[in-house]
Amino acid sequence: MIEGKDISLVYGDGTKALRGVNIAISKGQLAYIIGPSGSGKTSLLKLFMGIEYPTEGELKVLGLKMQKGQEANIRKLRRLIGPVFQEFKLIKGRTALENVMLGLRFLDMPSKMIKEESKNALIKVGLSHKIDTVVEHLSFGETQRVAIARAVARKPALILADEPTGNLDVDNALNIMSLLASFRNENTAVIITTHATHLLDNIDQGEIIKVENGIIKMESRGAVQ
Amino acid sequence: MKNIGYFFKEARTIFQVDRLSNILSIFSIGLIFLILSTITTAWWVSHQLVNMLRDEAEINVFFQEDMEDVNINSLMESIGIIGDVKEVKLVDKEESHQRMVEILGKEAKVLELFDSNPFQAFIEVKINVEKLDTILERLESIEAIDYIRDNKDVIDKLQNLISLLTIVGVLVITATGISTLVVISHIIRQGIYNNREQINTLRLLGAPESFIGFPFVLEGLFLTVAGGLLAFGLVYLGVKTAYGQIGSNIFIPLPHMEDLLKSMGVFILFASGVLGIGGSIFGLKSAKVN
Ligand SMILES: Nc1ncnc2c1ncn2[C@@H]1O[C@H](COP(=O)(O)OP(=O)(O)O)[C@@H](O)[C@H]1O
Ligand SMILES: [Mg+2]
Repeated sequence: MIEGKDISLVYGDGTKALRGVNIAISKGQLAYIIGPSGSGKTSLLKLFMGIEYPTEGELKVLGLKMQKGQEANIRKLRRLIGPVFQEFKLIKGRTALENVMLGLRFLDMPSKMIKEESKNALIKVGLSHKIDTVVEHLSFGETQRVAIARAVARKPALILADEPTGNLDVDNALNIMSLLASFRNENTAVIITTHATHLLDNIDQGEIIKVENGIIKMESRGAVQ
Repeated sequence: MKNIGYFFKEARTIFQVDRLSNILSIFSIGLIFLILSTITTAWWVSHQLVNMLRDEAEINVFFQEDMEDVNINSLMESIGIIGDVKEVKLVDKEESHQRMVEILGKEAKVLELFDSNPFQAFIEVKINVEKLDTILERLESIEAIDYIRDNKDVIDKLQNLISLLTIVGVLVITATGISTLVVISHIIRQGIYNNREQINTLRLLGAPESFIGFPFVLEGLFLTVAGGLLAFGLVYLGVKTAYGQIGSNIFIPLPHMEDLLKSMGVFILFASGVLGIGGSIFGLKSAKVN
């Protein structure tokens, strides 16, 4: 599913965000990427989202080689995953439903199913009553759920959520984490990043991947059936 | 095309985000197309006119007034056997007079000042205009002919006018084409700029460039076609007025107004379609570089 060998990521300004990263995430896995702010969590996720590609090393996501020049692979990967961006990236002026549908329009999904799947996803995240609300009129938590619905509706093999706990209080943060984790199944892996290490005390399932200064350490906790 | 409804809705949104610029560009494109169609109309009308004159090209052969009918007949025969002569017809004194009455219309009263019919009989020879010079040469060798009147000068002058109009037309078409492309690609780039966040998000979600670009192509197409229709409306009014004014006052046969308008309509629609699509693709391509 995800296989990275000796990956490093150096940004244009010379910042070394990741160094010698080895990582393996298997099909249907649940994984948390944790570490302090600036440690490289988002950078790692961007590699899996096909937004950045490794400066050095080898990375395969969903069997697709992520490399400079592999535009077709990058585009394909972006269609196969369900990304939940930290800043959500919803389209202003559109309803929750329109936003979710927009993520599906260019996938190989019959047009009849697009609306149906989008509604289902919104129901699953608990927004059945806000389907036709313009996203600017939603609360922070609701907006976040629309972003999650957009990712989930795509029926992706990989859901990637960057810092979904953001500035939420513990209860809400745990709620959103378990909502995301609930979409994990044998065909869908879920990866969540967070800087709120203390939240993981309440979590007993999934792989924990610690990032520090661009270097990672894998650590397992509990089994996912 | 499962997303066609979405594409139209997007195009409408793009239009409304920057409504004033979009409306202004419709007017400027309308103006550009008005210039384009005025020149094209002039070219088309004169072209038709020359073709008509060519088809009706004729020379008038005058002979000694006292020539006897037998001799006139044999003269006509010898003209008839010249190659590329289509038709030979005798116009006698009465018909000659009658034709002038028709041409003068109300002014025909002046003819009453003459005691006798002042017009001469002549032989009307319909010819292929391309062969005018060789035919004239052959005619000159026939002794019984007094003099020959041809409308070569008129045709030549019109031909020159057409050449000029063709050059002007090509220049105008090029200039208007380029300005339309510039206007459209500019407004499309503006639209892309206004929508940059959405475009970026769509890219991150893996949308193909064609999916992202199609609403902009639709918008460009809409702007030029709307401008084209505006121009056509003005051309329609202009042509109607012009035909109403001059149609009854001059002798030259104008092409049928319906034909002219139909051709102009098809031409404007086609040109605006091509330029709209071309301009928006140009705008999309040039915006992508940034
Ligand atoms: N686009 C970028 N250009 C240059 N440096 C960046 C960029 N994005 C992140 N960085 C730097 O890379 C490091 C890791 O950042 P990031 O992956 O965002 O960390 P985290 O998500 O764990 O807070 C930081 O030092 C950050 O400043
Ligand atoms: Mg981050």
